[in-house]
Amino acid sequence: MTVMAASGRTARPTFGSALAKAFLYSFLICLGIVVLYPLVWMALNGFKDNGQIFGDPFALPSRWTWGNYVQAWNRGVRDYLVSSLLVTVASAICTVLISAWTAYGLTRTPMPGKPLVVGLVLGGLMLSPTVALIPLVRMLQAIGLYNTYWALIILYTAFRIPFSTFLIRAYMLGLPKDLDEAARIDGASEGQIFWRITLPLCQPIIISCIILHVLFAWNEYLFAMVFTNGSAVQTLPVGLTSLMSKNGTNYGVVFAAMTISALPIVLLFFAAQRYFIRGLSEGIGK
Amino acid sequence: MEGAPLSNAAGEPAAKAGRPFRHWSSLRWVAGAVILVGWFVYYPIVDNFIVSTTDEDIFTGETTNIGLANYERLLHDPVVWVALWNNTLYALISIIFQVGGAFVLAALIEGLGSERQRRFWRAIYFIPSAISITVTGLLFYFIYQPDIGLLNAGLRRIGLEQLIQPWLGSEHTAIYAIIAMSQWQGFGYSTLLFAIAIQKIPRDLYDAAVMDGAGPLRRLWSVTLPLTREMTGLMIIVTITGAFQVFNEVMVMTAGGPNNRSQVLGTWLYQQGFIQNNFGYGAAIAAVIFAVTMITGAAQLWYTRRRRVEL
Amino acid sequence: MKYSTQAAIAALAAASALGLTVGPGVGAEAVQADPNAKVDYQGTLSVLTKFGAQQLAPYFVGVAQDYEKLHPGVKVELIQESDDSVKDKTKTLVASNSLPDIYFSWTGSWGGNFVRGHRAVDLTPVIGPDTEWGKTLTPAAVQAFMYNGEYYGIPLYLDAKFMGYNKQAFSKLGLSAPKTFEELLSSCETIRKSGMTPISFGNKEAWPAIHYVGQLLAYDVPQAVLEKDFDPGTAEYSDPGYVAALTQYKQIIDSCTDGGASVNGTSYSSAIQTFSNTKSAMYYQEIIEFDQSASADSALKVSDLGFFTLPAPNGAKGDVKAIEGAPEGYMISSASKNIPLAIDFMKFVTSRQNGQVLSAPPYGQPSATIGGASEANMNPSVVAGLKEIASASYLMPWLDTVNPPRVASAWLSSLQALTGGSMTPEQVMEQVKQAAASSK
Repeated sequence: MTVMAASGRTARPTFGSALAKAFLYSFLICLGIVVLYPLVWMALNGFKDNGQIFGDPFALPSRWTWGNYVQAWNRGVRDYLVSSLLVTVASAICTVLISAWTAYGLTRTPMPGKPLVVGLVLGGLMLSPTVALIPLVRMLQAIGLYNTYWALIILYTAFRIPFSTFLIRAYMLGLPKDLDEAARIDGASEGQIFWRITLPLCQPIIISCIILHVLFAWNEYLFAMVFTNGSAVQTLPVGLTSLMSKNGTNYGVVFAAMTISALPIVLLFFAAQRYFIRGLSEGIGK
Repeated sequence: MEGAPLSNAAGEPAAKAGRPFRHWSSLRWVAGAVILVGWFVYYPIVDNFIVSTTDEDIFTGETTNIGLANYERLLHDPVVWVALWNNTLYALISIIFQVGGAFVLAALIEGLGSERQRRFWRAIYFIPSAISITVTGLLFYFIYQPDIGLLNAGLRRIGLEQLIQPWLGSEHTAIYAIIAMSQWQGFGYSTLLFAIAIQKIPRDLYDAAVMDGAGPLRRLWSVTLPLTREMTGLMIIVTITGAFQVFNEVMVMTAGGPNNRSQVLGTWLYQQGFIQNNFGYGAAIAAVIFAVTMITGAAQLWYTRRRRVEL
Repeated sequence: MKYSTQAAIAALAAASALGLTVGPGVGAEAVQADPNAKVDYQGTLSVLTKFGAQQLAPYFVGVAQDYEKLHPGVKVELIQESDDSVKDKTKTLVASNSLPDIYFSWTGSWGGNFVRGHRAVDLTPVIGPDTEWGKTLTPAAVQAFMYNGEYYGIPLYLDAKFMGYNKQAFSKLGLSAPKTFEELLSSCETIRKSGMTPISFGNKEAWPAIHYVGQLLAYDVPQAVLEKDFDPGTAEYSDPGYVAALTQYKQIIDSCTDGGASVNGTSYSSAIQTFSNTKSAMYYQEIIEFDQSASADSALKVSDLGFFTLPAPNGAKGDVKAIEGAPEGYMISSASKNIPLAIDFMKFVTSRQNGQVLSAPPYGQPSATIGGASEANMNPSVVAGLKEIASASYLMPWLDTVNPPRVASAWLSSLQALTGGSMTPEQVMEQVKQAAASSK
């Protein structure tokens, strides 16, 4: 209750409000510790050997050697990282391009049955990947995509188009149309208008879409687990679980591998926080 | 409607003949999306219903049509009910922490004086959401370990030995331990969303409330809450939908055990379809997930539409 | 040494003589290996192994490299899964028709699945008893993979379950290897009083409990009854020995481990780590894991690792000289594009030289190749374990691979419940009976 007192913006310095402030900050800091400590523990355990991990979980590593990190890297994390990068980048490009394309078609062109198309594409938002799992296994096998990068790239693209289209379409609806009309009068084709005018104007939302897609694709597990086998095409989340079962007795290496796979996405979040938040706030409907 | 200015602009003599052509040709803009989504998202879901009426032996590839037998089996499968309850529990607890708790936390953070501080706290709490559930799941698997686990060691250190548990090994605590991890990971995400919604509330409403002599709690109740009502509604729906699709963390931490007590619909589907070779029965479980997500999805659509109208 | 290996395998094969008839499959066509096919040393061979664990993984990597060196046109692609993940992986591969050229298989109903589905090449003409290759492998091990009178598997090594113990810890407490089940329980009491965990046991994966119970069932339930019950068509599960075995299992949990819930929350691999770190006195393990329990780097010294068969209870009604175990091996996919090459590769893997590498540390997997185990290089416990296998009167197959999937999964989940204390032995048997009834 006292904590709440700080939520308004009254700045009258009384003893009560100072106390409330102290409570508020200690609450925020405690919560911060609860959030961050496990992650710090994970990274620190990457520096320990089994004896230390089994000994005192709170102790700092006795030696700061990168041995476990190097081992994790060489025992598969490198390959998983490459697969993850490839699948993430390729599916991000495909998703954003196709979605922007679609959004343009839906907002800027005369099209028969437009409400139907809008319903079809955005309706995909409601469908869950889990439900499609079993038929997809059979389908991908039948078309020979099972256990290839393409399986993941295509699925990530198909399942993320509805969301990205939703974001970009909303943004495009808010853009003024005078620029493309001027271009049209000057004889520009639809394609030229899309590439030269509309797409550059959509840059902020495109970046947001890319970031949200990266967050999704980098961390996706269900499809990656079911549709790939063999370390050659496995992405990080799946690779980590197999690393875990293969090195189950060497905990330091497992912790190091977990840390390596978490780091890029956390750094990306800090680097691109602004776009991230924009994407989230535009996409609240999802 | 959006096409109207375009045909005006192209007001050449040939426009009349060209228009139908242009109409149809603009479908090329959406063809890629329609084909991909239709083929890989819609078709499998339709196919799932067909699969759910069959019984297939994966080793021989033999398929028999068995009508609704798989659905009848659902009704009599105790694990389905355990899973359904676990999903519901997931939803309920997540609503308390990731909607209720996050709302309060967001209000607290947005009440801080400087934007730099607000941004700092939002970012800190968000970090776990950026990390893959596989990583956090494995991490908490270790945290809950009886021997090397951080949680039991922490309890021992602060003298709460009587609370020490094999968290993931006990039938009574396993699902709660998993849900707790999920709250740890997810609350920062919803806090961020609520913070964005709170930022959109005009400041003068708060000033007016202060003038009326409303205290902080009162302001939270009669200004912040009503003005973020849409957001709250949407968050509840999104949380429920998410709770019925849970898979990853359960798979990584317990794989549904012990004794199927932490099974959720997603993992039971996987267990049946891929471990016990019952594709058909797995598909029937998928149909249950479909039904639940359709209901919440429809609720979401209704909510979004209403929000549009209000704006 | 050679003698004991062969005798062991003979015993193993006798054990595997059940469930050998499997119904005809539809879909894929049956494929038989052609002994006269010319091997084309070109292209890629994919292999699904069960050697994903860190200690074992280098074996196939090394063999594959040697083979690629011999035949530069060939590339061997390994999919190495762990003991825990290989089952799921195999099923995913089968379901998607993407079985690799060569894949791991257990004996019993697991291997029977591939035969039923015509997914395994009939190897009779190349590995049968009178063939050149067949003669290099102990015939009985080959026979363990016989279905409908034909040979489908290439046995690689033998496996059986033993209780490993820390000799030093035992002698410090004045204990020796227990001879009876009752003695085991009382040893546990003594060890616990000393502050050590008597048996480290991880059952998060649910199959480790099956191994204890399988051995106890062999002691408590007559062989003929067991085999009748393994067949869904004739299963009854009404013998009182079942409940007796489960009650004994529960006694082990209660007196020898850290407690049922803790056991369910611990992974199998972290339990072996506890034993290897000398934090526990015993660990129930497969012979192929001896070299993981004790190695040059572990706290548990190789000379301190002892083992005994899980002792039988007084007055047990079954076969008290039975041991739980079976050979393990590989099959060749009938969909493989280059069957002769796959066969050639497996001949290379099962050569005497590679067999000796496999039998010795760090792998410690007793090879099924004749002369593939050279006693001088092997861990003495592995050598002694092989002798135990040789003198066993019956080899009890793993419950989770011998039973149909629904029954296996009933065993798995309800034994986890028994371990955790939420089911009684009678309730477990009720679950198994129901599953067996619905598998008919």
